[in-house]
Amino acid sequence: MLQRDAFIEEITKSLEKDKSIFFLSADFGAQALDELRNRFPNNFLHCGISEQAMLDVATGLALEGNKVFVYAMAPFLALRSIEQTKCGPGLMNLPICLISVGIGLGYADAGPTHYTTEDFACFRSIVGSSIYTPADSISAKLIAHKLLEKPKFSYIRLDRDALPNISPEITKADLDRGYKTFGNINNDKIALISHGRMLHKCLEIYKNESDRFVCVDILRSKPFPKNLPREFSSCKGIIVVDEQSPSGNLSSCVFEAFSEQNYFPKIISKSLPERYFFENGGREYLLNKFGLSYDDIIKACEKII
Amino acid sequence: MKKINDLENLAKKYRRDLFEKLLIIKQGHPGSIFSMIEIVVALYHGGFVNHDSEKNIFLDKVLISKGHATATLYPILRDFGILPKKEWDNWGHKESLLRVFGNNSIPGIDVTSGSLGHCIGVGAGMAISFKRSKQNKKVFVIISEGELYEGSTWEALLLAKHNELDNLNIIIDINSLIILGRTKECVNLDPIRDKISGLGINTLEVDGHNLSDLISTFEKSKKTGKLNCILAKTVKGKGSSLMENKKDWHYWNAMSEKEIEKTRKELA
Repeated sequence: MLQRDAFIEEITKSLEKDKSIFFLSADFGAQALDELRNRFPNNFLHCGISEQAMLDVATGLALEGNKVFVYAMAPFLALRSIEQTKCGPGLMNLPICLISVGIGLGYADAGPTHYTTEDFACFRSIVGSSIYTPADSISAKLIAHKLLEKPKFSYIRLDRDALPNISPEITKADLDRGYKTFGNINNDKIALISHGRMLHKCLEIYKNESDRFVCVDILRSKPFPKNLPREFSSCKGIIVVDEQSPSGNLSSCVFEAFSEQNYFPKIISKSLPERYFFENGGREYLLNKFGLSYDDIIKACEKII
Repeated sequence: MKKINDLENLAKKYRRDLFEKLLIIKQGHPGSIFSMIEIVVALYHGGFVNHDSEKNIFLDKVLISKGHATATLYPILRDFGILPKKEWDNWGHKESLLRVFGNNSIPGIDVTSGSLGHCIGVGAGMAISFKRSKQNKKVFVIISEGELYEGSTWEALLLAKHNELDNLNIIIDINSLIILGRTKECVNLDPIRDKISGLGINTLEVDGHNLSDLISTFEKSKKTGKLNCILAKTVKGKGSSLMENKKDWHYWNAMSEKEIEKTRKELA
């Protein structure tokens, strides 16, 4: 199941009881959105291909006490309307939830205008924002449920593709904690920290070599989970894997969180290089070519060892 | 509603109050504030912004998109008792909630603004919320003509028209000046009326300093049953010969004692 469908289905369910929910789209669709629009036309607003106006309209709706979800393709929602995001939900602390689809190289076939390898760095700089990156549709559903129950200014980073469900299943407790650990932590192990699509590559490594690795799914990267640094401080080293450009990606959160708590383990950042990609070949091809293959992550361990 | 003469006197009083305050804080945007004083006097004291006297709250919303001039509302809100007088008196002297740019933590200020080009969209969101929840409330958005340079303004106008937001009233304060000079010489915006009415939006023109004209135009706009855009022709720095039509008076400038006295006399 696509994460976007899982997320929107939860919103549709809530609309049966709560008419203060508004769903705004900048001409971006989903199968589940068709149902929402049909059943609750009064709670849906097509904003045109106008992300900036969409965020301003969302601000007005939220100022009147509505729960507002805005929805668009990741690069445009995260970057084109970032100043509106700052001035609306940012400055006025409004419970607007931005649902971004196609993070990282998700739209690899469309080229670099449609990638967003910088959305994470941009968005985490907006004061007061919370950031969630689910790695499967179950997590996406849990995040939707949480934000419907207690709306807050948040940025949800959904994958374009239907990612396989994680096993064991992500639970509400994991989401409340902000992360889920796979494997046992000890000082012989290297922690692979990731989120979204790249988590699956890390999980594959962990499953193949569980004696060497422990794996962490960061469900909520901002605010960064407080307990995580202490819990992983005894690891031999940490590799943070993110499908983003080198500046300000998930590894920055990890560096900051560990150093704030006076933990200084060996941390290696595995991200995409500082460049745009015009090559064709698809997402996996680009990931493998530009430093985020299975072997690249394994090789990064050598620096720790 | 107050008589036109009373409204004119209130506008004069607010200009004086604000001038004295800007003299103390030595910052702010007198040119932009003075160009819109009559507009907001007509809206609030002319009874167009619905006021619940029992609760002493305004039911309709007024968004000052040209956030650098939000201070224009402070003396009005003070006189209605919505903004505590203490906050006004303390401003420039002691701790006060008031700022050069308004924000929604200030009683009576409905939005945090400052960055240009946001409030037609915000107002459209409020207007949609009111319509869909069947609340009979209006939204007034005052923008500067300089905000017509922002793409988001046009995006929001399209959306407001598409949704036929007849509870949204947009007022453009056209003083023809931006920071570097006349709009005609910087990047021409004219003909503004044709451009906006070309979107299918009902447009009305008004002398933005003539209270009689403002009142009758707001009355007219109430009766159209459409999304309205009122083009108010104004003078930047209105009321002070030192500031009128001077781009440099977008911001506060140091004044000599002679200039201060002259301005005080002109605003008396």
